[in-house]
Amino acid sequence: MELFSEIYNCYYQVMRHLLSSREALTIPDINAQIYKEGFAESLLSIIPKIKNSSWNLFKKDGELYLSRISPSFLMPLSDLEKSYLKALLSDKRIRLFLDTKRLERLNQMLSGVSPLWKPEQFIYYDRFDGGDPFDSIKYQKHFSTLLHAVKKKQYVEIDYTAPNGNRVHHYYIPARLEYSVKNDKFRLLALKQTKDGKMTLETLNVARMDHVCLTEKSLSADIDLNEIIRGSYYKEPATLRIEDRRNALERAMLHFANYEKNTKKIGENTYECLIYYNQNMETELLIEVLSFGPMLTVTGNKQFLEKVKERLKKQKLGMPVGDRVF
Amino acid sequence: MSDFHELIKNFSKTRGYVRDFFVYGFKTRNEFTEKSPRTYDNERRRLESWLSPYVRRDYTQNGANISLAIDSNLLDTNPLFQVWKTKSFTDNDIMLHFLLLDVLKNSRPLTAEEITDCLLSKYETLFDIQTVRRKCNSYAGEGLLNKSREGKAVVFSLDTTLADWLKANEAVLDACTFYQMAEAFGIIGNYISGQYDYPNRIFRVKHSFFVHTLEDEILLGLLNAMNKKLSVRLEMKSSRRGTINTACCVPLKIFASTRSGRRFLCGYVMKSRRFTCFRLDTIRHIIPEKEAPGYNKLLQMLNRNQCYLWGVSFHSDSGRHLEKLAMTLHVIEPEEDYIIDRLKREGRGGTVTKTGADTYRYETEVFDCNEMLPWIRTFTGRILSLTCTDRLVEQRFYQDLQAMYQMYHIM
Repeated sequence: MELFSEIYNCYYQVMRHLLSSREALTIPDINAQIYKEGFAESLLSIIPKIKNSSWNLFKKDGELYLSRISPSFLMPLSDLEKSYLKALLSDKRIRLFLDTKRLERLNQMLSGVSPLWKPEQFIYYDRFDGGDPFDSIKYQKHFSTLLHAVKKKQYVEIDYTAPNGNRVHHYYIPARLEYSVKNDKFRLLALKQTKDGKMTLETLNVARMDHVCLTEKSLSADIDLNEIIRGSYYKEPATLRIEDRRNALERAMLHFANYEKNTKKIGENTYECLIYYNQNMETELLIEVLSFGPMLTVTGNKQFLEKVKERLKKQKLGMPVGDRVF
Repeated sequence: MSDFHELIKNFSKTRGYVRDFFVYGFKTRNEFTEKSPRTYDNERRRLESWLSPYVRRDYTQNGANISLAIDSNLLDTNPLFQVWKTKSFTDNDIMLHFLLLDVLKNSRPLTAEEITDCLLSKYETLFDIQTVRRKCNSYAGEGLLNKSREGKAVVFSLDTTLADWLKANEAVLDACTFYQMAEAFGIIGNYISGQYDYPNRIFRVKHSFFVHTLEDEILLGLLNAMNKKLSVRLEMKSSRRGTINTACCVPLKIFASTRSGRRFLCGYVMKSRRFTCFRLDTIRHIIPEKEAPGYNKLLQMLNRNQCYLWGVSFHSDSGRHLEKLAMTLHVIEPEEDYIIDRLKREGRGGTVTKTGADTYRYETEVFDCNEMLPWIRTFTGRILSLTCTDRLVEQRFYQDLQAMYQMYHIM
């Protein structure tokens, strides 16, 4: 079972689409498909092969190219893919996607296949306790409704108990279901229309939803979620100076991988990393920065820097033993 | 550059370049000293071609710096999956891929000779029988075709029942779009959803660490060995010093961090008679060896030890088997109850006790308390005391605090 195999090559994907076309194609049509799906320089490799028939997969009729194969071409699954699906069947979250009937059918079709891995072979040693109740029927139902709503851009009515105990009832447009690997929880990235017609982004824990109901209304316009996320960032990013000692650069790059950031080298062994964040991310970012200790220095923005200093001042006051000399 | 090719034969070489160039390296042409400048240009051009939508350029005094803008909270896919889709192939490979599968669709099982005849009559394409047979055998090996015997003849057939079923059951594709971002071997989920033109528009994954997909071939080799209960020889390259060394061990489990995405092989090293963890991103090759005697016993032994692990270290520098750590925190109740929740949810089995008004004590016993320091520092501002049987850990904690007071001019 090869993971790196030509059958998964990007060119094969491009060609599958071209060959599945019922219409004869022109070179500009082919160019457009390669441009859309291929790598930046794939045109240079693919076009000559098609033109000179080294890949004799089209019938040429003047300037037109007609596929030689059936438009309903479907690639069978490889053993690797079957083995992957078999492994997913043992995952605790699979019930969120497949009902009993589908689970049994898929299991039956994969009866002779060994799973690529078993859940007990992986230990997520720093995953927090208290993940979502994936086995709960109510949770599965809510998840399924939200999944449908995200796909169809359909408004949902949600009753929700916030962490502070406040109950909220509102209409939302579900934008994405966000999964946190660390917390083993799903959250809904939901858009809420304000009175002045603007869209604001809210994050709701799926496990805290008391009631989720689809409405008839759907959103026809395309919403650029990333623009809304970026719009929520503070204007000035947090600026970190990283001294590359004790492998700090690599650790920082991994640790802050889920933030929008820009890193550059500013000295022999020193790097500057700008991290973009919003109010919701601030506390998590702050404690992540503190976890690096003196390997990393916050140099801006002022507000974030003050928060770091505030914690350190509090620490010094609360534990004078911090002045111990070794 | 006539020798430039966008596709490659060998993944392991590229794996190193992607990391060096984009992820950690921030290397300019001048800083790239391992190979010739020509190699640098070719490798960089190739990576830029594969990952062009995500490439960010910065100009420094030393030249152009290239890095990848792959911030997981803004992306619906892992851009580095592209790297897996670059395997080179021959003209015959790609033609036979489409023509073979098309010939065998809705057909009775055919011999290689019959297939070769069909390719000529149906598509006007002439192949020699050996080439067709080789490809059929290879596809049978990959599970794409079925190979059987009809009398003395070897025949090949195509079964698309599962593929057809997936096409009709969007729910499985939804699952694939999720797992490709959130679980091991995401690239395979991506291959499947790609076959059905079903991109992810549903999920985002927080704490998803894209770079680790590059280790999936190593992971596959390790899981194969684990499933067969084989011992393995590992060839590793140190990420810091670049030195190459080898180790022999019985591979038992994969440990993964949700905070950095780093993955480790936990194996039993026969020579030192110890459990040891090896970072997957440092392993370059795996050589499977003989069946490991007592595999299940070793696994049981590891399971018994697991509760004393904080991270991936089975022993501290102190030489003691287990170390105790206690931390007292100031928590204003009830406003700051979330801190108590944090201690319980994040404390990996440690005990949390109320010791006075607004004061809580967290205690644990683990193999290596040194690994706890980053987590402990997240409570900076409310730590009243910290004691550890490993004096070096205590010392490092206080020294680091002092250093931070100085860095931030806290008087």
